[in-house]
Amino acid sequence: MIDIVGIITEDILNILLITLGGVLISLGVHLIPVGGAPAAMAQATGVGTGTVQLAAGAGLTGLVTAGFMMNVTDSMGLIIASGTVGAMIMISVTMLVGQWIYVYGVGCPAASAKVKYDPITKDRQDLYVSQGTEGHAIPTASFISGIIGAGLGGFGGSLIYYSLLSIENGLPEVDFIGIASIFAIGLFFVNAVIPSYNIGGTIEGFHDPKFKRFPKAVVASFVTTFLAAIMGVVAIGGM
Amino acid sequence: MSAGGGGGGAHAAIPQNNIIAFGIVGGLLGIYGAYFLVDIVGPYMSFLGALGAICGIVWGAAAVRRVANYGLGTGVPSIGMLALGIGIIASTFGLAIGGIAGPVIAIVFASLIGLVVGVLANKVLNMGIPIMVQSMTEIAAAGAITIVGLSTSMIGTFMFFDEVVNGVVVAQGVATGVMTTGYIAVIFIAGGLAILHPYNANLGPDEKQDRTLACAFEKGAIAMIVAGIVATITPFASGSLTILIGVAIWYVSFSGFYKLVKRDAYRIAGSGLLPSKEELE
Repeated sequence: MIDIVGIITEDILNILLITLGGVLISLGVHLIPVGGAPAAMAQATGVGTGTVQLAAGAGLTGLVTAGFMMNVTDSMGLIIASGTVGAMIMISVTMLVGQWIYVYGVGCPAASAKVKYDPITKDRQDLYVSQGTEGHAIPTASFISGIIGAGLGGFGGSLIYYSLLSIENGLPEVDFIGIASIFAIGLFFVNAVIPSYNIGGTIEGFHDPKFKRFPKAVVASFVTTFLAAIMGVVAIGGM
Repeated sequence: MSAGGGGGGAHAAIPQNNIIAFGIVGGLLGIYGAYFLVDIVGPYMSFLGALGAICGIVWGAAAVRRVANYGLGTGVPSIGMLALGIGIIASTFGLAIGGIAGPVIAIVFASLIGLVVGVLANKVLNMGIPIMVQSMTEIAAAGAITIVGLSTSMIGTFMFFDEVVNGVVVAQGVATGVMTTGYIAVIFIAGGLAILHPYNANLGPDEKQDRTLACAFEKGAIAMIVAGIVATITPFASGSLTILIGVAIWYVSFSGFYKLVKRDAYRIAGSGLLPSKEELE
């Protein structure tokens, strides 16, 4: 029988780090400009797909880059930095290609309907919003917000991955990495969906009024991830 | 921007409690049937695991249908991914510590996380969907059954670790057979799509429970065929029977689904091919 209390007290730091990772992913999703189905028709600001797909795309790339760095070094800082940058590059490429399609394919200027002036460039927004739409494409503020959000998500994801791999156990290394990665992916999906329900599916970035709702999702993610982290640490630590 | 249609409960011909019973009992029977019969009869009995997974998938799709009908505010796919995300966490935990009781522990802990997420969604995120708590619990448990069922049909057992006798591996476990090899990713996407897709494809004002569930059976059969293909290359499970039964279920459920589509469609008209350039002039 597994000594559950022993494992939890021994790995309490890892449990807390995993929970922190989950909370960071949840916060990061609020910063990514998710447009959902309306944005796919260029009728709302943001990238035209759902939160889960965007966050998962960026986060999983972060996990891959973190895993790659793990081959080379054991340094926590480098591994997490690698995961963070990987996720940031992925979201930037997604937003850039999306922007090309909106500008050259659909033929609409980037404009936010939530603010009158772009908080970063101070450019006028409302004049460029087509009638009957809630903005289109990805304005500068949303783009920068998205990069920050993906950075937080990648940071959280690689923190979870690194913490899971720091748990002492008797598994062969190949199996251990497989289980830790799939566990990190499971946690990533859970923490990408919770904020998605909080923002009602679409958000423009940090300048969107919906961004103020983030503490709720952070609380929800904290509780869920804490529970899942205990289960993960007990399962992996008991092996 | 509600993608799920107007708020309100979904009309159902089959009561949800019957579907819950079908999912849990059918799922566990399939998983345990596969586990014991692979030992007693032979590796080809591993197809029972996939049948159990189909029970879980149909249950999950029915629960998604009920909750997504209220309008989640975001796409239906998110809830399928949530189900499989929770399912993966609970299955790893359940199978790793549970031994023979692994699938039951996985389902119990998946329900527990689902319950917590449901309560948080209503109390903290203020989603205000009355059946959210029950549905999240159901969806998470269905996700766990799907993962354990498909894993069992892929490798013939749900034991987490390899069974080693005198240094020789006599049975591959889920850890090495499904997770390390990466087949878990196949389960994640095939199982997740099977749970989220039926309602996502059929939603609208004329959505009917039997049509959505027929689609769920069909998607479950595709997941079963995929599990069968994987089983052909794993040493302790046999895939041919899984693929055959999967194709049979797919054929029956797809023809059933097509019949229901024709029943619910206002009119089906053939438009013919596009006219050629000469015909237009």
